[in-house]
Amino acid sequence: MQQFENASAGDIVLSLADRIIENRAYLSEIDGKIGDGDHGVNMAKGFGMAADRIRGNDMSLATAFDTLGTVLMTEIGGSMGPLYGVMFTQFAETIEKSSSIDARTFSAMLSNGLDGIQSIGSAKVGDKTLLDTLVPAIQAFDAANASGKPFPEALDALVVAAEKGRDSTRDLVAKIGRASRLGERSVGVLDAGATSCALILKALALGAKQKLLISATAGR
Amino acid sequence: MTVKTLSARKNGTARAEAGTEPIPLRYGDDPYVWACWLYYEDHMTQGDIAEIMGISRATVNSYLADARARGIVNISLEPSRLSSLSIAQELKRHFGLHDCLVVPSDDNTRPLIDRLGGAAAQALAKLLKSGDTLAVAWGRTVLAIAEQASVPGLQDVTVVQVTGGTAANFAYTPELCASAIAGAIKARLVNITAPAVVSTAEIRDMLLREPLIESQFDALAKANKALFGISSLRPNSTIHTSGFFESVSLQQYLARNAVGVVAGRFIDGQGNPVAGPLDDRTIGISLDMLKTIKLRIAVAGGFDKVPAILAALRGGYVNVLITDAATGRGILNADGVTELDQKLSQRPKIDHRATLPSNFRTHIKKFLNDPDDVVEEMLDGVVKAHAAYLRPIKGSHRALVARTGPRPGKVGLVVGGGTGHEPCFLGYVGKGLADAVAVGNIFSSPPPGTIFQCANAASGGQGVLFVYGNYAGDVMNFDMAAEMAAEHNIEVRTVVTTDDIASSPLEDKEGRRGVAGNFFMFKIAGAACDRGSSLDACEAATRKANARTFTMGVALEPCSMPQTRRQNFEIGPDDIEIGMGIHGERGVIRDKMMTADEITDRVMDRIFSEMKAAPGDRVAVLVNSFGATPLMELYILFRRVEQRLSAKDIKIEANWVGHYCTSLDMVGASISVLHLDNELTELLHHPCDTAVLRIG
Repeated sequence: MQQFENASAGDIVLSLADRIIENRAYLSEIDGKIGDGDHGVNMAKGFGMAADRIRGNDMSLATAFDTLGTVLMTEIGGSMGPLYGVMFTQFAETIEKSSSIDARTFSAMLSNGLDGIQSIGSAKVGDKTLLDTLVPAIQAFDAANASGKPFPEALDALVVAAEKGRDSTRDLVAKIGRASRLGERSVGVLDAGATSCALILKALALGAKQKLLISATAGR
Repeated sequence: MTVKTLSARKNGTARAEAGTEPIPLRYGDDPYVWACWLYYEDHMTQGDIAEIMGISRATVNSYLADARARGIVNISLEPSRLSSLSIAQELKRHFGLHDCLVVPSDDNTRPLIDRLGGAAAQALAKLLKSGDTLAVAWGRTVLAIAEQASVPGLQDVTVVQVTGGTAANFAYTPELCASAIAGAIKARLVNITAPAVVSTAEIRDMLLREPLIESQFDALAKANKALFGISSLRPNSTIHTSGFFESVSLQQYLARNAVGVVAGRFIDGQGNPVAGPLDDRTIGISLDMLKTIKLRIAVAGGFDKVPAILAALRGGYVNVLITDAATGRGILNADGVTELDQKLSQRPKIDHRATLPSNFRTHIKKFLNDPDDVVEEMLDGVVKAHAAYLRPIKGSHRALVARTGPRPGKVGLVVGGGTGHEPCFLGYVGKGLADAVAVGNIFSSPPPGTIFQCANAASGGQGVLFVYGNYAGDVMNFDMAAEMAAEHNIEVRTVVTTDDIASSPLEDKEGRRGVAGNFFMFKIAGAACDRGSSLDACEAATRKANARTFTMGVALEPCSMPQTRRQNFEIGPDDIEIGMGIHGERGVIRDKMMTADEITDRVMDRIFSEMKAAPGDRVAVLVNSFGATPLMELYILFRRVEQRLSAKDIKIEANWVGHYCTSLDMVGASISVLHLDNELTELLHHPCDTAVLRIG
């Protein structure tokens, strides 16, 4: 069974924060085309604050997710604050009792994160939101697991589907949020939330793969 | 004119008299061509050109800019360079790199290794900072970097060798590479004074326990940047002849599918470490340790290295890659990125700059210190400027409460939203209006904790009313705050404002956004609360005001974000955006520029189609600037609004013209009309005293 240790995996969240901070300008730029251009700035602020609290504290993945979720939920505001906040809080709650994380726990974690988002937001797949990235990514991960693929390959499938989902938002008409008032004019531009969600999932998958590698090496 | 300018001019004239004609014949009478020739062909400075031509430096500068705009001078990027930029961008995106530099491939005048070394030397100058510890691996490329590197002005940099040493039978031993880099950037050098590969694991462990070597590894552990090449294991690779590894051991790693070597460690095609006989006998950085270094700069190129570089990228050992275009393209193709060539060939070959006016600028000037501090610094100013009306709750500038507002027995009114709309929302905090305001980031809702603090501070035991604009983020955060308040036994009612009639059709009135009409909703709600009405009555009056307020905005130019100092969307030179929201969201219809009266008529026609006002009815009018439109133009709009209303025999009971709900520096305005009845008229005239609105 391929798994990695929860207790030593908090630094995955740091790399996730790094990706968001690096893409601050890019996210704001695409948000500026159909939204208000603040997505990258607010995301970078929240993830940066969380990273400062996580760094050097040797946190478990669960604690690091909880720290990130709490910062986003309580201190950032905007729409992404609560949505991503609830997602990471749910991630944390799902895995907090697991000493190691296998594909099954990882899948449950993703699904509970999605449930959290859907409990406070009203978007559906196809509405040009982060769900267009998250939902197919989880489906691809679960399908890869069901067909017996190893954990790392399922993570690869997750990333591929997330990026495909992100790209699909280019052709969608926004149905929710400020961009929805633009109707057809929102077509042709990536959704900023779907884009940041793909960045987050990719960093998460890469981080998990590295941890799997380390635990595989250590176990040998 | 100052003395200095005079003398400069005189000087120029003197030179012109002594040497050249005022304008040499061959340029005709075109000073633009003359200036361009001196600048681009004779490589003179703008200052020298100014002297020769007897004009100011600023004029020279504008001649040169105009020459580009007029097509006298065309600046084009060489296609191979352009393509290397695209490849770098794609590599960075695809592998999530911190940065990537790709040197063009088709310049064969210098060996690849020198060109990579030169590029890496330039990159080092940008990436290295005083106080850094740089871990340096060995290799021909690293040596080539050292030969060309120079980073002036660096202080307190340490270079640490990442592996032990080897016999000096090749030119790029670990010791030499580290010392060459240290010499080039004038850094302190820490060598690892042990062999890179020792005979047995026991000897390695003993050596690692030696205090001297231990201290050298401590220095290595402090590295925040690393510089290394990537070796291929192809038969022609120098790794086989370098003597760094025993060839017998090498074969064993190859048999286990190793494709490359990073900092003396073997990896497979996926970037996984490959175990082998040298692992326990190597004295040097481990792959795990390498990954903990923040900036990991790999410099490698050559087609035979594609699998090794790809493996290093996949393994996450690299976050800054310096390579050449052919290799970069090979790496992307090998990892399944095939769209790149398409992207490159589809790139339109138009030099857009030729069509831009000479005064074109990409950044808007703003009064800023640190762009990340705009909200905090504004709030520092607000708290001081309006100290008579409001004060921070528990020291937080994000939650402000009216000095004379909340009182026992009164329903508390909490408003709030993102910043960038000043004087909304904090200008409406004070007696007879809002009791507290929750302040978010620019165009972004405040978080629930802040809103709850406001509810708590505003509560007088009779419940609290939340009034804010209808945006997904605000709704989520205020709803969460309402739940928190409920847990603390504060009853909260919410009125979400939806006055922007352009944002959704009438059937979807509840989906409309709340804009400048907030001014009226806040006023009515504040008055109802101040008069001691019940929570039910306050909510009902506010809902009525919302149902009877109609707003439509028109933008002429976009707004620009303080963080980016860029306009966050475009409006064509002859276009206007009708139905513009207050966050810079694009409007619903884009139209050609028209006269002020035509614009006002478009807005008023739409308002009349929804507002069922009969002759003799009374209204309140708000003509509001989006930020950059001056009062002069607002009055021109108001003039027409008044004409249209009086033509229908609708009386203006009260009006406001000015900046009441802005969108940073957007050029544009909105018109709001509140259709009054007796109750609303009374509430509108109820006294209030805030920073931007005083009645009575």
